[in-house]
Amino acid sequence: MAFLLRRLAFYLAAFIAAATINFFLPRVMPGDPIQIMFAGAGSDLSLENLNALKLTFGFIDAPLGEQYLAYLKSVFTGDLGRSIRFFPLPVTELLARALIWTVGLVGLATLVSFALGTLLGVMAAWRRGTLLDTVVSLSSIFSSSVPAVVVSLIVLFTFGYTLGWFPNGYAANPMLDPGWTWEYVSSVLYHGTLPMLTMVLVLTGGFAVTMRNNMINLLGEDYIVMGRAKGLADRRVMLWYAARNALLPTVSALAISLGAVLGGSLIIEVVFNYPGMGNTLYQAILARDYPVIQGELLIMTAAMLTANFIVDLSYVLLDPRLKKA
Amino acid sequence: MLKSRLLATAALALGLITAPALAQTVLTISSEQTTTFVRNFNPFNQTSARATTKDFIYEPLAIFNRLAGAKWEYRLAESFELADDLKSISFTLRDGLKWSDGEPLTVDDVVFTYDFLKKFPALDFNSVSALMESIEKVDERTVRFNLVQPNSLVATTIVAMPIVPEHIWKDIEDPVTFTNENPVGSGPLTEITRFTPQVYEQCRNPHYWDAASLHVDCIRLPQLADNPQVLAALADGTLDWATSFVPDIDNTFVAKDPEHHKYWFLPSSIVAFTLNLENPDENARKAFNDVNFRRAVSMLIDRQTIIDIAGYGYPVINEDPSMLGQFYAAFANPEVAEKYGKYGKFNPEDAKALLDESGYKDADGDGFRDNPDGTPIAIDIEIPNGWTDWIDAVQIAMESLKEAGLNVKMSTPEESVWASDLIGAKYSMSLNAIASAANPYFPYIRSFNPDDFGKSRTSAQRWTDPEVVEMLNKYTQLKDPAEQKAVMDAIQLKVAEAMPVIPVYNSPSFYQYNTKRFTGWASADNPITSPVVSNANPGRLIQLLALRPVAQ
Repeated sequence: MAFLLRRLAFYLAAFIAAATINFFLPRVMPGDPIQIMFAGAGSDLSLENLNALKLTFGFIDAPLGEQYLAYLKSVFTGDLGRSIRFFPLPVTELLARALIWTVGLVGLATLVSFALGTLLGVMAAWRRGTLLDTVVSLSSIFSSSVPAVVVSLIVLFTFGYTLGWFPNGYAANPMLDPGWTWEYVSSVLYHGTLPMLTMVLVLTGGFAVTMRNNMINLLGEDYIVMGRAKGLADRRVMLWYAARNALLPTVSALAISLGAVLGGSLIIEVVFNYPGMGNTLYQAILARDYPVIQGELLIMTAAMLTANFIVDLSYVLLDPRLKKA
Repeated sequence: MLKSRLLATAALALGLITAPALAQTVLTISSEQTTTFVRNFNPFNQTSARATTKDFIYEPLAIFNRLAGAKWEYRLAESFELADDLKSISFTLRDGLKWSDGEPLTVDDVVFTYDFLKKFPALDFNSVSALMESIEKVDERTVRFNLVQPNSLVATTIVAMPIVPEHIWKDIEDPVTFTNENPVGSGPLTEITRFTPQVYEQCRNPHYWDAASLHVDCIRLPQLADNPQVLAALADGTLDWATSFVPDIDNTFVAKDPEHHKYWFLPSSIVAFTLNLENPDENARKAFNDVNFRRAVSMLIDRQTIIDIAGYGYPVINEDPSMLGQFYAAFANPEVAEKYGKYGKFNPEDAKALLDESGYKDADGDGFRDNPDGTPIAIDIEIPNGWTDWIDAVQIAMESLKEAGLNVKMSTPEESVWASDLIGAKYSMSLNAIASAANPYFPYIRSFNPDDFGKSRTSAQRWTDPEVVEMLNKYTQLKDPAEQKAVMDAIQLKVAEAMPVIPVYNSPSFYQYNTKRFTGWASADNPITSPVVSNANPGRLIQLLALRPVAQ
């Protein structure tokens, strides 16, 4: 119990620290939202327009301390204010629109890559030294070290532009009305294919490498030898003796990746013009849309800390020693 | 028997489905680039309302048509009259105007709108209230604006303000955050029949006063996030009307369907090099404050190459030392070209001779020219990161500047850093864009008014001249066109002599159209109006009303 209380106190402190950084980070970037509106080459705004804009978005001119207090209040009331770029849309509404796409795309891609990566890792470790291991290990290391931006551009260029098999943007055909119709759902799947494929390509390698290494460490353990000596089927030893135990450390990695899902995948969403959280954050940063940047970072922080907390909790259950500590 | 009945039923069903589609003519437009549509039709939200709010939902009182004979086209107003002392202006509304909900549109709505702007200054995006002493209803159809000081150009500012219905807006408590989701307007297309974050449709106003001229039932606006997406939609023929930068347009767009895919680029904002006369670097400042140095730099800019290479040939060259260029050709003073025209043309030999003559020689032997007093000149040309056409332009300019012995380099900070450096005069040299306006008075006053120093990017060169400012102030207080012209001529001569801004080109305003479904488009052969569909151009309303569907 003391352990849990200590962790809880730690998370609260971490949350307040992160919330504070979220507030100051966008403000130390050069330029403010109104300046950005005037900076664009095609901007038709003249000095006569400035006054009305300052009055509309006046909150960015208030003293920093005052803004900070208002922000802290908003953090705990859940009222994240209004977007500047999409004025006067409330930030919560803007993020809710993006959240559904991100949870679908990034969440699903994370789970698929985890399953696929883990399976490949297990098989590679079990047959280490064989051709399968060489192929899986090398391609995993390769795919997890190529930056996402390269992978997404190659995928987009090959399957989107050159071959024209898949659309180059959007989450669904914009001419369709959203709803549970076959037409709309299939359009969503069709549009999601390329970003999904890219994410799986990027993420799977990492999971596979981790799993393979964990597995190899365990294969020398006595209980594996024991299992084999008992004459158990190979597959049973591989999955139920080795893989099950090797999985524990990767589960916490998965929890943390799932915590990060809410932030979306900035690069992939931008490249594929997918209307998720990453794209929203990118647009908000470009426009110095402080309320949106703050709101989104806050949600990401909260999700990340929650995921960590759940991992902590599961450790307490899994490792009895922690209960005493 | 059964079969034929089935067929008949099928035909009937099909007919029912397709009948409304056939009856409606839909025009597909890309007017703004955004990642998502927010349902906001508040005409006072200038940065975030949908781009089809002004002009199409809220019709202007009148539109100044710069192209077809530079005349006023009267819309909600049937005329306006500037008083002889220029201290007031009266607008007379058309008879029998109605809002889209059937309520009458009267002078009371105009008076209400201006009272409303006073009450909520955040709505007053043109700072029009500051020009007004009072607004009064003269009779049922006439409203008079009494001005703080004489102003011959005030009509331009007044017609840019939308008029909103009193019976709706009087109950709005916070009009700044009001999104006006179901607008009641005065323009041709007021009914929002469909709205999703990815597409919306705006249809015919049932009570439109000029319905006889309107041959488009609905406009459809698909969400497109950037230039490549607009190009894709243009190339496959989805869009009828767009405003977007398209690289190599003859191949990427026109060639896909040469019979129907058309474009016409009109000159728009002035793009010019600016030298910071208040440069924090003392040595460069000395050189920049010498008119001969500025003239030499201007003669070292290879404008045509910049246009051909950096601009795909789209911009219109601007060699006018008074900076106005072709966009304001109607106002040009021929004496300017005669006296100072040579300083606006690329001529490296004359430039080098002028630099030699003025004492800019290499004194310390480092290969670069120095000030006549021997101090070195180093110039840093600042351009926003990612503005590739401008970066290319500067690279081309740097070649000839270096070749003439000037020590120039380029830096590319982020857009907002660049903007604040220009506003605060914390830069050395840069390219700048000066927005186009109905009258050359506006680019001049925005560039050279010392009250704007430190507030706007347009005044970044920090050049002013009491005589020029006085003449500009006088200009707005003259009613006689001949007197106005005399003053504008004198201003141009004064500016050209000092050459505080080095114009390069007028950037094009982009206009692409498709003649497959509609005809009546403005073009170089048929310049009925400025047809750019962005919300900065009220002329788009005249274009909309000129369109006729093609029988399919």
